[in-house]
Amino acid sequence: MKLKIGIYWGAACGGCDVAILDTHEKILEIAEAADIFFWPIAMDFKYDDVRAMPDGHLDAVFYSGAIRNSENEEIALLLRGKAKAMIALGACAHIGGIPGLSNMFTREDTLRRAYIESESTDNPGGVLPSERTVNDGNELELPRFYNTVKTLSQVVDVDYTIPGCPPASMQIYSAIGLIADGMLPKKGSVIGAGDRALCDECARTKSEKKITKIYRTHEKLPDFETCLLEQGFICLGPATRSGCGSRCIKSGVPCRGCYGPLDGITDQGLKMLSALASVIDGKEEQEINATLDTVAAPLTTLHRFSLASSIPRRKKV
Amino acid sequence: MKRIAIDPITRLEGHGKITIFVNDDGTVENAYLQIPELRGFEKFVEGLPVEEIPRVVTRICGV
Ligand code: SF4
Ligand code: SF4
Repeated sequence: MKLKIGIYWGAACGGCDVAILDTHEKILEIAEAADIFFWPIAMDFKYDDVRAMPDGHLDAVFYSGAIRNSENEEIALLLRGKAKAMIALGACAHIGGIPGLSNMFTREDTLRRAYIESESTDNPGGVLPSERTVNDGNELELPRFYNTVKTLSQVVDVDYTIPGCPPASMQIYSAIGLIADGMLPKKGSVIGAGDRALCDECARTKSEKKITKIYRTHEKLPDFETCLLEQGFICLGPATRSGCGSRCIKSGVPCRGCYGPLDGITDQGLKMLSALASVIDGKEEQEINATLDTVAAPLTTLHRFSLASSIPRRKKV
Repeated sequence: MKRIAIDPITRLEGHGKITIFVNDDGTVENAYLQIPELRGFEKFVEGLPVEEIPRVVTRICGV
């Protein structure tokens, strides 16, 4: 029997959808194993088609994107009801991803900047999107724009997670294979990624780290042999799940943590902070703090992808 | 008056819906294209280290 699957995006960039397509000729195998019943980027099914499905109709739903507004949440709930397995696909759905950085600001700050203040905006009336508008007697609705970006698992029960921004295509392919073969691991598992820290699969040479100065990436060129953290660049490898193939590291770019934390870690950024504190050279607290103080934008660097799933979740205002 | 909703519009990157209001005589009175999404890059890039911006704004569109 062919699998029935649905693919959807909330507050997403479409990169996760493209990662599915990037399985190249393997997409033909996916098409052989599964019929797709919903996939806005590629196929013309409507929300009403999904509403008309019986509950549990789909074997799996892959949901990428964060929960930014009431529509993202409403469709997540709708799809949850139709799915035997709800799969968070990619960093945005998993840990909030880049859209989660919006939690540094309020809803009002964001709307004002986007629709009134931005240099390319021409909006003399200062009109902001509202949930209900009447134009010419026609009533129109928009979703509610939330103050706080949420992850998928903060709004629905998630069965599995495929991490990454975007997830490596072959890992999506293997995950679909697991579903097709009925080999899914226990509920709640991360699939299609490693179970060790990125540092464990990173090929750079590591010795005992003793950092005396933090460098920003424009301040010096990294060498291609040594651990980037040892060279003084903030690299989230110690706090990040492996499975990406160290694509950034191989290009000389330090990790920003898109694969999220390892099992059992609630706050990836804090995990990184403790890793960082342990490799900074210095005996006195003051000395260590002075080095830590030079980390640029620490909150959004250490929680680059995970702010929405961090303990504070958002900046308090 | 009849209301026709095309929701979501498909086969493009992003979210959109079209609402068409049709008069009783079958002519279109008004049609609206709405973009129900905003992530807020315009605001949340503020305060990020400038050298980090290329790897943040690449997430505006991944298609
Ligand atoms: S996880 Fe990355 S690739 Fe996927 S939708 Fe979010 S920003 Fe795009
Ligand atoms: S900190 Fe970064 S560069 Fe160093 S070993 Fe870990 S992943 Fe590799």
